[in-house]
Amino acid sequence: MDLQSLILTLSRYWGEQGCVVQQPYDLEVGAGTMHPETFLRVLGPEPYRVAYVQPSRRPADARFGENPFRFGKHFQMQVILKPAPENVQELFLASLAALGVEPAVHDVRFEEDNWESPTLGAWGVGWQVLLDGVEITQFTYFQQAGGLDLQPISAELTYGLERIAMFLQRKNSGFEMEWGGGLTYGQVRHQDEVELSRYAFDVADVDMLRRQFEDWEREAGRCLEQEEPLVIPALEAALKMSHLFNLLDARGAIAVTERVALIGRVRKIAQRCARAYIAQRERLSFPLLHRQDNEAQKGNAAPRNRGNAGNGRAATPHGGSGGRKRGGSSRSKRDEGEPGSRS
Amino acid sequence: MTGEFLLELLCEEIPANALPSIREQLTENFASELAGAGYQGFTVRVASTMRRIVVHAAGLPAMQPDREEEVFGPPVRAAFSNDGSPTPAALGFAKGLGVSVDSLRVAQGPKGEVVAATKQMPGRPTPEVLGEICERIIPELHVPKAMRWGSGEHTFVRPVHKIVALFGEGAFTEKVPVSLFGVGSNCSTVGHRVTSPGRIDVRGVKGFAAYEHLLAEAGVVLDPEERRRTIEGCAGSLAAEVGCEVRPDPALLAEMAELVECPGLLRGEIAGRFLDLPDEVLVTTLRHHQKCLVLVRDGAVAPYFLAVCDRPDDPEGHVRRGNEWVAGARLADAAFFFSQDRKKPFASRREALAKVMFHQKVGTFAQKSKAVEALAGSLAEAAELGLAPELIAHACSLLKLDLTTSMVGEFPELQGVIGGIYARLGGEPEEVWHAVADQYVPVGLEGALPRGPLAAIVGVADRLDTLAGMFGAGEIPSGSKDPFALRRAALAVVRIAAEAPLRCDLQEATHRALLLRKDTVTGEMDAAVAALLDFLEERVRYYLTTAAGVKPEVADAVLAARWGVVPDDVARARALEAVRGEEVFGSLAVAFKRVRNMVSKSGEGRFMGQLLREPAEKELLAAVSRAEKEVQRTVERGDHEMGLRALAGLAAPLDTFFTDVLVICEDKDLRAARLALLGRVEKVFLRLADVSRLSAP
Repeated sequence: MDLQSLILTLSRYWGEQGCVVQQPYDLEVGAGTMHPETFLRVLGPEPYRVAYVQPSRRPADARFGENPFRFGKHFQMQVILKPAPENVQELFLASLAALGVEPAVHDVRFEEDNWESPTLGAWGVGWQVLLDGVEITQFTYFQQAGGLDLQPISAELTYGLERIAMFLQRKNSGFEMEWGGGLTYGQVRHQDEVELSRYAFDVADVDMLRRQFEDWEREAGRCLEQEEPLVIPALEAALKMSHLFNLLDARGAIAVTERVALIGRVRKIAQRCARAYIAQRERLSFPLLHRQDNEAQKGNAAPRNRGNAGNGRAATPHGGSGGRKRGGSSRSKRDEGEPGSRS
Repeated sequence: MTGEFLLELLCEEIPANALPSIREQLTENFASELAGAGYQGFTVRVASTMRRIVVHAAGLPAMQPDREEEVFGPPVRAAFSNDGSPTPAALGFAKGLGVSVDSLRVAQGPKGEVVAATKQMPGRPTPEVLGEICERIIPELHVPKAMRWGSGEHTFVRPVHKIVALFGEGAFTEKVPVSLFGVGSNCSTVGHRVTSPGRIDVRGVKGFAAYEHLLAEAGVVLDPEERRRTIEGCAGSLAAEVGCEVRPDPALLAEMAELVECPGLLRGEIAGRFLDLPDEVLVTTLRHHQKCLVLVRDGAVAPYFLAVCDRPDDPEGHVRRGNEWVAGARLADAAFFFSQDRKKPFASRREALAKVMFHQKVGTFAQKSKAVEALAGSLAEAAELGLAPELIAHACSLLKLDLTTSMVGEFPELQGVIGGIYARLGGEPEEVWHAVADQYVPVGLEGALPRGPLAAIVGVADRLDTLAGMFGAGEIPSGSKDPFALRRAALAVVRIAAEAPLRCDLQEATHRALLLRKDTVTGEMDAAVAALLDFLEERVRYYLTTAAGVKPEVADAVLAARWGVVPDDVARARALEAVRGEEVFGSLAVAFKRVRNMVSKSGEGRFMGQLLREPAEKELLAAVSRAEKEVQRTVERGDHEMGLRALAGLAAPLDTFFTDVLVICEDKDLRAARLALLGRVEKVFLRLADVSRLSAP
């Protein structure tokens, strides 16, 4: 299965589980967690289900395109289920089945791996999911975000898409992995990696980055000090600060001593955003709560059935190559779509 | 006939590190609750997999035994009026317990005499009692990291999905009402998630063994020890098939057993080119990052690994291929970093070290290397090791260079080891790369010491410098807070000094280390020195009472005399431990206590032997002179037992002296002379031990 079929299959699968299939956030972020669809939506009492791909920037992980497993930018498939349903593990396993991974002949294990983001004031408890020994997904029960205790608890599933695609295709280099459209990941992205590495390690203007860090911090403050605080613009400013921090870090410009302080400044804004968001939703009387009242039964019953249906029929074709990708994905679309007996 | 109880909590995957402690706590707490509820002669067994926690208790009657409890009431004065008739307080107390006023007794309560009654507590049905015990103790289990889930109301190690709780005689026939974490007890569980996910009805199952058998048929091996043995057995045969042995790793085996319900093991192959990587890197990559057992052949890592999986077989080879793929990816990663690092000579990394911060208040690693070099030089000189100063300087200049390598960035747990490998590959002499490689050993009381005197000196100097830097900057450990692991560092200093051995004085070295860091000392220098000396002395004490195996009071006696040259401290402690049982040391302790009291209260005075005139004091003088000479000889020979026996020779003269001679006499000069004599006694004792710290036998 190529990368784009992987994305399409997971998007379709989670869409059928009642998720809003969202789009990547249009800012540089370090992880899908920073997307407001995760960071803000997990706050407060309103239920929410969302899935999206998020290109994630880790400038310090960039390796000039020379290391087959390291990328300065990679893709995550992020799924948030709020509250975490009781059958969340089964739903996840069914998503693997949808990818053609039959549990009956594989080894799937959930090994403890907890998660923490000091920048977001967030942490959670969970596992790395190992498929035949390969870490394919980070599974986290969010406990806190923006320094606030969460209730209800959301489950976050973060699929490492390059890793999964490489594994499914048995490729020993990410750059040789098939993306789709007859091209490899390397043909699509290798030059980005080379240039982003050079920029992050050698070229980025440290003074400019620092200046912008300060500027965006002030801007975030201004947004939050409005009579009705501007939550999204303030959070976007914090995300920019976070990326600027990552660039400075890759550039080797952050002293060990300074590190904690800079992270703390981003966290402070993230925390203010979190509180402002909850206040804002409260003023709106948590509108999605009422939606739940109306559609509770429908929303809850449907995904469960489909989880099982998907499990049973998941023998999607894989191994089709190159130019046939479109055919492949529409095929899988049809396969997965059929249980449309969803009504 | 007695009954048995079964509890199963079906959970999401519980972390491996939480399970052993959960089993221990449950076994202990469940048994003590049962005993507290009046049961006797029962057995409790707790088993677990990563998905289930199981309690089995046997030998329980269907009804809880009847019990009596003595209940204290109001004070006697308040319970009876002057004429002896019961007051309303007594009547109320009796009524509350359902006993007659006549049955009240007088008993000694914590605050004086009170009235007391025996309360009859009839036994209740055992299932009820069991349910309450479960509800009480399970939410109280200590787990390393608790979580909330779903609506967020409950807290436990992982979400709980099902509870089976049954009781019965001969078969689990009766449902026990238990409600935990919003889940009510029921009668069915499920088998292995993948191989046997169907429902398993436990009601009516004939006892625990039958239940265990049912689970085994459903792909679940309940007993962790059985899983461990299975994995161990598989490992042995998988290794033998390819003519290898398993690199012994009991900790990893135990962990593997906690990671699966259905223990399986598979052998994967490593591409031959990775065998060019140093063995340490191969082992770390496979063991720490992939939790794989490593195979060795003729002492070297062989191109295989063993990975655990939660299934009995690998029908299509997917599991092996996946594990090989990821091990290959990890090793390729390591090989990439390794070749990156090797592109430039190891020694050329010195400049980069100036940019790596050791601690914000203390300075960079470049500065640290300099300080360690100076300290190591003086330590080596004091210990008379005959090491060339250039050699020490060279080793210290390489010591921290690996902190700038990609390998240490990737495998932080290999710092030191990586430096040692690069130094070796860079053609450094063996003692130099040993010093770099072994700078972080030993980690505790177990494990190998640094190889060779250079490594020992450098290891001690590096840690003493860390301690001096941190204490100077006010980063002193307190209580459970020791973020820089300074206790461990100090213990390593003591252990290396004791066992290498290094005959240098740690007290002097402490002064020197802080002097080298004087620019970053934030408070008073003297205070920092005193704090660090106390801290080190504590570690010496710990070492004496653990590794050297002496009683705490022996360690106190030895350290109160003096401390610092650790091999000597250990030798004195062992000698005192050996002789202290001898009768004479009991009276010696008492006598020496008097000596110390007098000398400390009155000062030593000036010694004028000619003033001494009583036979008892003349005799003591002669005995002290003899002891001084003898102790001098035994100290030179290191025969402290003999020295202590020489001191024991002072017991009788001291006794006579204290009986016959009045030390605090009118004559000022005579008093001074007598005190000075006792001062000499004190001094000769303190060359070996302050025996006044010993308790009389």
